[in-house]
Amino acid sequence: MKFWGTILLLPGLLLAQPEFFGYFESEADVMQLGSTRYNFGYNKFRLDVEVRPSDNVLIGANINIQQYWGKTTWNIFDFVPGYAESGLVLNVDLPDTLLLDNFYMKLSFPRFDLTVGRQQISPGVGYAWNPTDIFNSKSLLDPSYEQTGVKALRLEIPLGDRALFTAIAQPEAEIEQSTQQYAFNVGLGCFDFSLTGSLQERVDYSVPILGDMNIKQRMMLGGGLVGELLGWGLWAEFSTNDLEMESPFATFDYSNLSPLTPLPDQTFTEYVLGTDHTFDNSLYFMAEYFHNGLGVAEKDELSPADYLASLGGQSHSLMQDYVFMYAMHPTFDFVTLSTLLFANLNDNSGTFAPQLDWNAFEDTNISLQGSLFWGDDDTEFGLQDWGLRLRVRSDF
Amino acid sequence: MKTKLLIFILLSISAVFSQTPTAVDIVDRVTNVMSPENTYSKGTQTIITSSGKERVFEFESWSAGKGESSLTRYTKPAAIRGQAFLMLNNADDIWSYFPRTKRVRKLASHAKKQKMQGSDFTYEDMGGGDVFQTKFTPTLLGEETRDGDLVWQVELIGIPDLEPPYPKIILWVRQSDYFPVTLDYFNESGYNTKSLVLSDIEMIENYPTAMTMVMTDNKERSSTTMRNLEITYAWEPPKGFFSERNLKK
Repeated sequence: MKFWGTILLLPGLLLAQPEFFGYFESEADVMQLGSTRYNFGYNKFRLDVEVRPSDNVLIGANINIQQYWGKTTWNIFDFVPGYAESGLVLNVDLPDTLLLDNFYMKLSFPRFDLTVGRQQISPGVGYAWNPTDIFNSKSLLDPSYEQTGVKALRLEIPLGDRALFTAIAQPEAEIEQSTQQYAFNVGLGCFDFSLTGSLQERVDYSVPILGDMNIKQRMMLGGGLVGELLGWGLWAEFSTNDLEMESPFATFDYSNLSPLTPLPDQTFTEYVLGTDHTFDNSLYFMAEYFHNGLGVAEKDELSPADYLASLGGQSHSLMQDYVFMYAMHPTFDFVTLSTLLFANLNDNSGTFAPQLDWNAFEDTNISLQGSLFWGDDDTEFGLQDWGLRLRVRSDF
Repeated sequence: MKTKLLIFILLSISAVFSQTPTAVDIVDRVTNVMSPENTYSKGTQTIITSSGKERVFEFESWSAGKGESSLTRYTKPAAIRGQAFLMLNNADDIWSYFPRTKRVRKLASHAKKQKMQGSDFTYEDMGGGDVFQTKFTPTLLGEETRDGDLVWQVELIGIPDLEPPYPKIILWVRQSDYFPVTLDYFNESGYNTKSLVLSDIEMIENYPTAMTMVMTDNKERSSTTMRNLEITYAWEPPKGFFSERNLKK
């Protein structure tokens, strides 16, 4: 319906001299999981349109068409250590999609900007993790990939050249259930600081098998800084969270698939510490450490419910302590070699993923990424063996 | 007596007018010539690699405060359309904006040494201001004729404590208008790593302006040509122009 709404709007947009741009992206993956090798991938077409009826108004929208191929149905239990051979089945399908992703209008007044509609919101200064981001989750194999839009109203008030106040509201049917986030960013010397506070009244996470988990209220206070010390880039981001649970969301005893005790209210802290540097030979290096107080501390304490809840987006990670490292070098003409490495420090598992990016033509990039996983079979990353990803993207 | 006095006066005047300026004077004049108060330009950036491959970028650029603040936004090619860089304090503070992720990120000063979009220009090379005056000690090496112009050759030695962008730069400065036509950049080993040649010099609103700038990487055998398609110094920055808010526009 929304798609056809956009189509109907197009003639009007055309009259206002719109700009069209976007890309086509095709990805092919091979993954070795235990004794089974899977092939899968997708073809994606994204069309963006931007119109500026006047200097103070910007209307933007994009449509994503994505078709999956190869293996398109996944059993979640294949990714839960100890349950791959259990016979339990919880299938998740990847259907072809046609998504009206972002759809917004930005009004620039002399003293503030107001953006209304479905828009990308990406708070935080961390690269692989963002403790202050209550809207998105990231893939560690591709943390900088674009994120889907959030239906919101955003007010940005500049307070001088280096200070900004931002208020975001994500409206719900009942106004008191709307999500609110407030942020204040200020630049002092060679550092940028931010303070963030948010209040979510009722969050429904759809956790496979367990059904919906309802948080009655989530309150988050956090912040961050980014700057440099001794020639190295430095950043930090943190949040402290209060979760008040509403419904009898339960951990499960999978021996008989019966609910155990409901989760209690929780207070936890997350933080990211990061650094980066470009050496004289153009080698760029970056590292982050992430701590998540909501994660599980010991491997032996993990239950399938923790995996399922993590996959459902409840937490930024499964366990508590992680590192992420990235190195990149422009080695040849239009060819960049890079590698990323991330590890779960609690269960000693991780991934090493070298990548080659080739700017084959003016607007066409081809990337090949390999991933090698290590760790015991009952660990977060050790469950998989290896993977290969070929991605071709052409922008227009 | 009167004749002797007249000869003395004429000789003195002649000596004053023909006196070679000091290296410091030349660098001061170069800085003035190269740093109009405000600038708006549209241009192209063509990278040619050692193997002859070519990539062309288009951008818009604004600067103020004699290059102390600047904002550059790429308009082509499509893959980087909308990417923008805000530089304040003569490129000591840099913020980047990536439209695909809608993120603004502050870059640490080491990022100044990164190549801009893979070109032979670093972010630091793009920063204007008074860096030649403040971070180098100049010495006048001599004069010669280049392409029919009489030029001074000035050596700039970086002051290590002030973290100069290069350990040494040699400038060739046109005597007629104090416009630098060639800059050779050297590394710690004394190797001439890069050379910048400014040409197609036109008088734009009382400022000599190079419409073409070619930076050659002598080690990688690549080059980047920046061409001004449109330029004016009459642009006045609106209040709050060099800000994160405008970076995201």
